Amino acid sequence: MHIPDGYLDPTVSAATYIIFLAYFVYALKFMRKGFSSEKATLLSVLASGIFVAQMLNWPIPGGTSLHFVGGALAGILLGPWLGFLTIFLVLLVQCLIFHDGGITALGANSINMAIVDVLVGYLIYYVAVKYFGKRGSVIGAFLGGWAGITLAGLACGLEIGFSPSFPYGVSVTVPVMTLWHLGLGIVEGAITASIVAYLARRMPELLYSGVRV
Amino acid sequence: MRFKRAWVTIFVLLLVSPLFGVILAEIVGYHEPLDVAAELLGKKDLTEEVNWTPFLDYTIPWLPAEIGYIVSGFIGVALIMFIGFLAKKASARAKAS
Repeated sequence: MHIPDGYLDPTVSAATYIIFLAYFVYALKFMRKGFSSEKATLLSVLASGIFVAQMLNWPIPGGTSLHFVGGALAGILLGPWLGFLTIFLVLLVQCLIFHDGGITALGANSINMAIVDVLVGYLIYYVAVKYFGKRGSVIGAFLGGWAGITLAGLACGLEIGFSPSFPYGVSVTVPVMTLWHLGLGIVEGAITASIVAYLARRMPELLYSGVRV
Repeated sequence: MRFKRAWVTIFVLLLVSPLFGVILAEIVGYHEPLDVAAELLGKKDLTEEVNWTPFLDYTIPWLPAEIGYIVSGFIGVALIMFIGFLAKKASARAKAS
């Protein structure tokens, strides 16, 4: 999911940076409003956990791997704005310190994992809990995790497909990335749902603060 | 201490992380899904050619890959915690003023 340097055309790279920065500026006022000492602690713990979880690559025989991305989980626990900040913090440390994800692709990677994944995960969870109450929590988390990572894969396919230097256009890259993540997303959804199910028993106050149930 | 279980889990995951990120990866010869797709489509990864960090791909110079992976994990978590601490301080200062 982390796009490295060299995959994106300069135009696409610049466009994704502009979209990401515009979203960041727009999100700032909501982040400030929702930020507190308690939220800062949760954000640090969650970002640390997601950073470490992303280091656990599960190799799949055949030459590929999957790892938990955590965008939907961040959206569920901290909402769309602080969830965005959580995943962006992870991506920033990965990019600048470990060069995991390119600096020219930081805007694109942030759009995919910190915006699309977080927003989709949050919205699906929100709708599930709003309409089905606490009973909808775990299934909402599963669907949010699954759909979040699938649509993030779709966004990634669009970004590399729209790079003019890329040998194939979006007609190839979008189906490849979307279908790939549609399959891998089941694991993302299952992990997100497991964590939410655990928190529902141990720390339910973390789950329903933003949703009236 | 709030989130004690979370910190213990993070610590344990860090210790076992080389099993997934280094050892199994070498056995299976994995690449990220995006890398596999890009390779099939003829795109070049410039990560090693355009590099600015000594900790590329969670390695630490002079350390074995497995140990370097763990140390990298601790560095990453420490940085995230430090940024979180600064944000917490800034938040408290903003509320006080």
